[in-house]
Amino acid sequence: MANGFLIALVIGLPWLGALIVWRTGDTRPERQHRLAAGFSLAAALAALLLLTAPGDSPALTLALGGLFGDFTFIPDGLGVLLAAIATVVGSLAVIFSMDYMRGEAALGRYYALVLFFIGAMAGLVLSGSLLAMFFFWEITALCSYALISFNNDDPKAVAGGIKALLITSLGGVGLLIGALVAYAYTGSYQIADLLAGTEAIPPDVLSLIAFGFLLAAAAKSAQFPFHSWLPGAMEAPTPISALIHAATMVNAGVYLLARFYPAFAEVPGWTTAVVAVGLISALMAAAMALVAQDLKRALAYSTISQLGYMVYAVGVGGVFASQFHLLSHAVFKALLFLGAGAVIHAVGTRDMRQMGGLGRRMPFVRNAFVIGALALAGIPVLNGFWSKELVLEAGLAGGPGWAFAGMLVGAGLTALYTFRMVWLVFYGEPRAALHAHDATPAMRFSLGALAIGALLTWLLAGPLGHLFEATLPHHELHVLSTGELVAEIIGAPGTWLALAVVAAGLALWWWRERFRWLAAMLEPLGRAAEQDFGFEWLNARIAGATIGSAEALRTTQTGLLSWNVAGIVGGLIVVLAVLLLAWGA
Amino acid sequence: MEVWLVLLLGGALLCALQAIRAQRLLASAIWLAAVSALVAIALYLIGAPQVAVIELSVGAGLVTVLFVFAISIAGEDAMTLPAAVPRPLAIALVILSAGLLGWMTLPALGITPPLAESSFAQMLWQERGLDVLVQVVLIFAGVIGVLGLLGEARAARTQVVPGPLPEKDGAAHQQEVHP
Amino acid sequence: MSASALHILVLGTLALIGVGLYGLLAVRNLIKVIVALQIMVKGALLALVMAGAAAGQPNLGQSLAATVIVADTVVAVVGLALAVQVRRHVGTLDVRALSSLKK
Repeated sequence: MANGFLIALVIGLPWLGALIVWRTGDTRPERQHRLAAGFSLAAALAALLLLTAPGDSPALTLALGGLFGDFTFIPDGLGVLLAAIATVVGSLAVIFSMDYMRGEAALGRYYALVLFFIGAMAGLVLSGSLLAMFFFWEITALCSYALISFNNDDPKAVAGGIKALLITSLGGVGLLIGALVAYAYTGSYQIADLLAGTEAIPPDVLSLIAFGFLLAAAAKSAQFPFHSWLPGAMEAPTPISALIHAATMVNAGVYLLARFYPAFAEVPGWTTAVVAVGLISALMAAAMALVAQDLKRALAYSTISQLGYMVYAVGVGGVFASQFHLLSHAVFKALLFLGAGAVIHAVGTRDMRQMGGLGRRMPFVRNAFVIGALALAGIPVLNGFWSKELVLEAGLAGGPGWAFAGMLVGAGLTALYTFRMVWLVFYGEPRAALHAHDATPAMRFSLGALAIGALLTWLLAGPLGHLFEATLPHHELHVLSTGELVAEIIGAPGTWLALAVVAAGLALWWWRERFRWLAAMLEPLGRAAEQDFGFEWLNARIAGATIGSAEALRTTQTGLLSWNVAGIVGGLIVVLAVLLLAWGA
Repeated sequence: MEVWLVLLLGGALLCALQAIRAQRLLASAIWLAAVSALVAIALYLIGAPQVAVIELSVGAGLVTVLFVFAISIAGEDAMTLPAAVPRPLAIALVILSAGLLGWMTLPALGITPPLAESSFAQMLWQERGLDVLVQVVLIFAGVIGVLGLLGEARAARTQVVPGPLPEKDGAAHQQEVHP
Repeated sequence: MSASALHILVLGTLALIGVGLYGLLAVRNLIKVIVALQIMVKGALLALVMAGAAAGQPNLGQSLAATVIVADTVVAVVGLALAVQVRRHVGTLDVRALSSLKK
């Protein structure tokens, strides 16, 4: 089948490219740049072609025998959309890197890991087998870790990478448990069998699977209470932050929830838990973004907050709304990160307090960044406006009122922190004598492409809806064309309410001098937000307890072969005794 | 046949004990070869002639040669030091685990009349093809191990003795080493 | 095969495995550790062929035993190569000397 071949290309081309770039060697950086860009662009092309040939049955099957089941790959709407995002944003990030990473050491490692990640991300969203999905899920976590710690002589980068690896691996355990339990009851690793066969699974077991997957999704998408790895991940080179920690890997959690929503929607408490996770993440992260001083950290908190919107959308049943917002967010957040990367590359600091007035000296970056910021704030007619309104509308229709109210407040906070960020970086008076230059050609290409995307991707809403409807048999979607969608959004009272809240956020920033009293009132909250609401403290305690117990157990490790064997024999005796007792009973 | 089995297995047990108790490594290796040979004969008696032949040639032959070779490189290095694990504890652990295993298996023993079955060669080459594949990988690892042994034999002859490290206060005590 | 022969074989197997285990626990010379391992494997070999015969599938038991012989030989080879390397780098075959990674 033609689309099977395309799937093999989408996954295989970046992996092949990774090997070739790695083998090229760091003595020929120019060739590495060009090879990486070429392979990622080819994969993006294959993914875009795949968009035209979707299907709802396995297009590519790797038979792995009875134990593991077949690894199938299905080009359905959800899969091809995310694969296209991964490869297109991936290739733009690689092109941006050509200038951003120029002159850096270990380029082979960098590009090989990026390409390895792009292929794995496409595999993750296209695979139709839970086991294959887990396999790709862990590869993305591994690449994320290795790229966060890319500057491996910087202790902060290494610590951030390990934190990300630990937390996302914890989520991976949830996914694995869910997959194995599902296999135990349905006898198949195929996702379609799980979606179709939920009646065969006892309610308790189904809720175990559902909450296991929620754990996996929350850890991967940096949602409450596992959000604290994402700000630490900002030690990665900025194109990596744009690609992995804004546009693709962090979406895997939302994708997982959306993919399995039809199976778990009936599990008692599950949708409420999903809504609560989304709401808490959205509000908490928005508050932290409001007080962050580091440009990339502010963007990271904003990512957590926007992912919260998507999770919330899945929780209230708006699967399409969540995926549409995912598309918008991937585009405008990648744009914001790459713009931030251009700024950081030019001025050499990430501290927003030292920036200011940069807009005059780098007008191209400013224009691109402002387009992304307006989309993030939800200003018409950018893509972020339409998708956020769609999410809120889904929340009003299918979710509890308190969550909707919280999300409205979140929209206002989003506008507030976005304008603060833009103002601190690009406007006002320069606060420090920073050397700045505008973006270089490769950077301009990526920024320009993403800015055009932020202006236009909302036009895809109709075709995407039909794509989803045609290829996702288990999801109940009500689909509108782009025109109908626009009319509905404009006609809905919720839209005007949300716009009013956004305008209030803007006004709050514009007349911030007059609202000093409000800022003073919220001072304690701001301080708590700066302290990460105590989660850093909690993480440190958990890590400390783990390391302490490991140190204590270390005394049992004599390192002597005989004692090791004694331990093994002791274990054997215990197993035999348990077996005997079980037989006797 | 029972008498023969008792004699063979009893002999194998004695040889095994000797292999563990022997002070000299070479003696230990020879006792091991004896265990292998006796077990091979027992295997032949209970109707496994092919495996018996393989065991006799590989277990008693090849492995013993390897042992002798390795011992000749590594040296005897006889040790009369006490064991790391206290002897009573070791014996207790062994008796406990073997006893539990015996207690579980002995009452459950039974004999099924022979089923229709493919021949040994068919079984090995066709029905267990994956295992054979894995064995090829294993043999490859074994070859690398042998290369390690042989490389050791060569390296031992051309070994360079490193001189003492130069001291910090000067080169006064430094020695020139001429291998 | 008679039932009494089966019992003798099981006992012989257990005895060989027990002696091998004792060797692993008590011996400090690395090469003798490999000898002890070999003794255990002889017991396992006997057990496999015996189980095959008792279950009426002697050829299955035999083919598994053949696999075990190959694996066991490779273990011996790699183990001996390791022992020789240890002797060269550490200067002794005492397993206690191998715990230097600790500390």
